[in-house]
Amino acid sequence: MKLNQFIRPDSLSEAHAALRELGPKGMALAGGTALHFMQTKASVAAVDITRLGLSFIRKEGDFFAIGATTPLSDIQRYRAPNWAMHEICRRISTHQIRNVSTIGGNICRVFPWADMPVVLLAMNARMVIHSGKNKETEVEADEYFSAQPARYFRDGEILTAVKVPVLRAKHGFGSVKASRNAAAFSLVTACAMLELKDGHIKTARVSAGSAIPFPHRLPSVEAALVGKEAVPAVFREAAAKSAADAKWCVREGLGEDYMRQLAEVSIVDALDRAATFAKGRSA
Amino acid sequence: MTENKNTVSFTLNGEKKTFATNPDEKLLTLLRREGYRGTKYGCGQGTCGACTVIMDGRAVYACLLYSNQAEGRSIRTIESEGTFDNPGEFQRELIAAGAVQCGYCIPGMVMSATALMESEKNFDDEIVKEYMDGNLCRCTGYEKIWVALRKVLDRREAASADKPASAGKSSVKGGKK
Repeated sequence: MKLNQFIRPDSLSEAHAALRELGPKGMALAGGTALHFMQTKASVAAVDITRLGLSFIRKEGDFFAIGATTPLSDIQRYRAPNWAMHEICRRISTHQIRNVSTIGGNICRVFPWADMPVVLLAMNARMVIHSGKNKETEVEADEYFSAQPARYFRDGEILTAVKVPVLRAKHGFGSVKASRNAAAFSLVTACAMLELKDGHIKTARVSAGSAIPFPHRLPSVEAALVGKEAVPAVFREAAAKSAADAKWCVREGLGEDYMRQLAEVSIVDALDRAATFAKGRSA
Repeated sequence: MTENKNTVSFTLNGEKKTFATNPDEKLLTLLRREGYRGTKYGCGQGTCGACTVIMDGRAVYACLLYSNQAEGRSIRTIESEGTFDNPGEFQRELIAAGAVQCGYCIPGMVMSATALMESEKNFDDEIVKEYMDGNLCRCTGYEKIWVALRKVLDRREAASADKPASAGKSSVKGGKK
């Protein structure tokens, strides 16, 4: 995408005003890496939001708040009890990209191969959106990722933070990204959040992306897990139901059947990791 | 609020500089136009790593950055690492190992390795691969590049082992960088 202007606001309100005035001719810019994949002929004005104090990770009650312009490499390196975001961030692209690419940029426009929406759907994250005059709205992941999030940013609104839950005892998160090599786009990304009680699954959130046109949760898989023992046989049986929720697309010369099997194996692995995490935490 | 400046100012290899630019110009284009041609144009889409420079201590792809994103930052290019007559430590090992074939990827490799050595104390293979996995060698000469880098890192690890333990461990472990 071609830039015809580069605007550097000094405050969030200035950024909001600039984006509001520009409308579709403006675009918030953080890392800027996503702009290279937008093949539109129209040029836009970039509003740089990287100097507005939106790069942070801090605990706020039951959530970790991650500033929208926090680079993925910072998320990858952050460590705290009950924190689970680092693992998948290590698997996103290369070191150089992670140093620039931000969590906000990953989710303000969802590309089919994006990993972060899958993570945030499983985690039941909340997106914090600034809409001027100190007004902030929190949108739950299910609603936010029900379609392209651009609908939230039509009047100058700015994503300021993403809130992911602090994992409580007996909760576990697992993520799997299947790709051809370390830096390649994902073929399939699968994530799972499990809550266990006495070795059985009390609640489950399972999501997938990349091999489907838009990331979403897998309700048939989730339903097949609840109340069952957290063991591999149950995970395999549940993953086999994913075809009811998703039609796995042919990718990079890999056939439909191969992609279905890859997706199911990835879901099983994500569930296994989530269960191990949950059991470890309750020990 | 600043908008539509036709110049960008940043510290380049330790010197404060101001360059003419435009909103759509990439940092790589600017650097090469201004004579910093050690930074290579490879894929132009953030895959090969030939254009790797260090911005505020972090390795980044100059082909993906707009020049204005460098405003006020510190940028280091391969020109800061050594000269033909006085190459840097890793550059010397690359030569000794015969690791330079066509040589096009080497500036990016050196910059990524520099970011690694300046950011980390722990040079476990897994961490080294993390820093280097964004640099491709089209000649597939990875083995010798790895041998050269490992020599430098092993030497540094041995040197730091001789120092008191207060030197600290990798920033990857135990908290935010």
